[in-house]
Amino acid sequence: MADLAIAPADGRHAARRRARLIGRYVVMVACAAVMIGPFVWMVLAALKTDADIRSVPPTLIPEPITGENFTRVTEAFDFWRFTANSIGIAIASTTLQLVTATTAAYAFARMEFKGRDALFGLYLATMMIPLQVVIVPLFIEMRNLGLVDSYAGLLLPTIVSSFGTFLMRQAFLGLPRELDEAAFIDGANHFQVFSKVLLPLVKPALATFAVFAFMATWNSFLWPLVITQASDRHVTLPVGLARLNGRFGTDWNVVMAGSVISIVPIVAFYVFTQRWVIRSVAFTGMK
Amino acid sequence: MTTSRRLSTRRSLVALVATLGLVAGACGGDDDTAEPADDATDEADDTTESAESADDTADDAEDTADTADEASEPSEEPADDAEPVTISYFTFSAAPDHLEDLDNIIAAFEAEHPNITIETQTASYDDYFTSLQTQIAGGTAPDTFELNYENFVTYARSGALLDLGSAGIDTSRYYPLALEGFQDDGTQYGLPATFSDVVLIYNKALFDAAGLDYPSADWTWEDERAAAEALTDLDAGVYGSYQPVSFFEFYKALGQAGGEFFDADGNAAFNSEAGVAAAEWLTGKPGTIMPTLAEIGGTPNFDTNLFQSGKLAMWHNGIWQFNGLNESGVDYDIAVEPGMVQKANAVFMNGVVASADTEHAEAAAQWIEFFTSSPTTVETRLASSWELPAVDDEAAFAAYLEITPPANRQAVLDALDDIALPPVIERQAEMQDVIGQALERIVLDGADIQSTLDQAAADVDALS
Repeated sequence: MADLAIAPADGRHAARRRARLIGRYVVMVACAAVMIGPFVWMVLAALKTDADIRSVPPTLIPEPITGENFTRVTEAFDFWRFTANSIGIAIASTTLQLVTATTAAYAFARMEFKGRDALFGLYLATMMIPLQVVIVPLFIEMRNLGLVDSYAGLLLPTIVSSFGTFLMRQAFLGLPRELDEAAFIDGANHFQVFSKVLLPLVKPALATFAVFAFMATWNSFLWPLVITQASDRHVTLPVGLARLNGRFGTDWNVVMAGSVISIVPIVAFYVFTQRWVIRSVAFTGMK
Repeated sequence: MTTSRRLSTRRSLVALVATLGLVAGACGGDDDTAEPADDATDEADDTTESAESADDTADDAEDTADTADEASEPSEEPADDAEPVTISYFTFSAAPDHLEDLDNIIAAFEAEHPNITIETQTASYDDYFTSLQTQIAGGTAPDTFELNYENFVTYARSGALLDLGSAGIDTSRYYPLALEGFQDDGTQYGLPATFSDVVLIYNKALFDAAGLDYPSADWTWEDERAAAEALTDLDAGVYGSYQPVSFFEFYKALGQAGGEFFDADGNAAFNSEAGVAAAEWLTGKPGTIMPTLAEIGGTPNFDTNLFQSGKLAMWHNGIWQFNGLNESGVDYDIAVEPGMVQKANAVFMNGVVASADTEHAEAAAQWIEFFTSSPTTVETRLASSWELPAVDDEAAFAAYLEITPPANRQAVLDALDDIALPPVIERQAEMQDVIGQALERIVLDGADIQSTLDQAAADVDALS
């Protein structure tokens, strides 16, 4: 009797738990659909013909499927050169940002000097100033340095990231000081502690920041737009893609084909670093 | 994914950067004279670049030798022109569809002027002014660049432009009205390159199916309205007429109703009876004979798609749509837009100007004149429907008029008989916003037309 009495109660409990689980999955699938929807639309639009993309009401599935837009986008401008520029700048900028952010973060996290916290606060405050505000002075500075329309001019303003410094400082602060003290007792100097002891322990944070930095450089538009205009030599992919916008109309299927190509490197880079990024998000509680 | 957001941010940035640019540009002027060393370096750079491009020029000269022979004899320039110069040209109207046409015109120019090399920079219209303002503010303005009529005055009055009259130009080939459009205070700062006008484009099949007469040049608003109501079939998703509710449509409708935007003293006068009639005409369309503004939303190319799908009977739009319409295969023709008290047709004009800081004023002027009025340019533009050249030469347009559809292409030129140019002030973008927002309030909030226009007039007066 007792067993029988418990069994249905248990069953109801399990059913309720299953219902809650299903509910949770429904919400998650809905969220995923919202996130992935525009991406799917982009890929499908890139496969549509001119007539298909203009049809009213708009359709989702391309009919017929065409790969012509990908050819058109590579012929619309010096596509491969712009892509090579983008890849080169993104890699160089990400590498340099990692160097400047980690070294600065080490100083802010581990070295004692006067005014350190005030300096750090000032550093963070620069995050609040948008590029648009400083773009004209920055451009004039680059002109005076003779760097307008050069790779150096494109790259230099991007190599220091206060966000990266902040992120890496937090990662360093999360490590016990005893580690460096032990290394110092063994005769290590600051650089050795930094490179041999602390840096290997913050790999997840490094990977996270690398993805952010790569994405930011890869997608950046305004600065490449103004600094590379004098010729087509140093133009990056997003600036090139923007040229596909006509004044009176735009072939969105071609723009979408270009966009599909342009996100491939980011996806590849993310797949490559994903393992560390997920660990880092769990580790720093950051999103 | 983030494109639309980025676009709208970018648009508001343009305004911000523009303001900064003008401020910094005003300060930058002094800088330039104070730094002769800097300029010297620039010059050195230029020379190196020209040397590099000398090979290209030679190639181009070969390519275009034939063309040059066919046209008038390649002019023998005076000996003092021998020094090679590079002129930069920044344009928003070439990319993405007419880059080859631009290259052809440049090749022809360089063949005639072997010492001058043209280096082009292109950007889309949305990004063009961000880049241009920054370059001007940074003191690295392109030698020559494109400006549309509405933005011309802002640049002319900021002191950024070269007086082309003093650089020696022949203005006899241009439409007088277009030429005037690029004067400010009697000074010829620019030469008109192109114009495009707005006409009434209509779907012949829809008119045939309804048994209605096609629109004609003597139509008034009432004729359009009556036909549009007969043609609108909401169940089938077919609409009678599409006209954007915007500044550009309003100033034109105001002209059609016999009103003036500014009075003789330069005060806003569009809150008149004619202004109310124009606003009523435009704001009465959405939700009745055209889709509501909410349905249109921010959808790119909404009206183009609607017309090309055969679901729009009449469409107030520009001649730049012809290429796309011909590709889509929709059966259409055009007529001069209906008027009311009088005819008034919108014209969009682009011109080319030179930077006040250019070191090669004469070469810049030669390029601008060639690019805006040479036979090569006129032929190239007409052959590829790259807008219409602003030259006063009916013979040149003969071949253009024979291209069909539209069968009634003559309406493009007929529309020029009654032109309404947009009102222009220095704070142009803000004025356009005031008008656009006022019209939107009337449509969306049902605001009272007279009092909304009164308020807009006061706002515009505060700007000018």
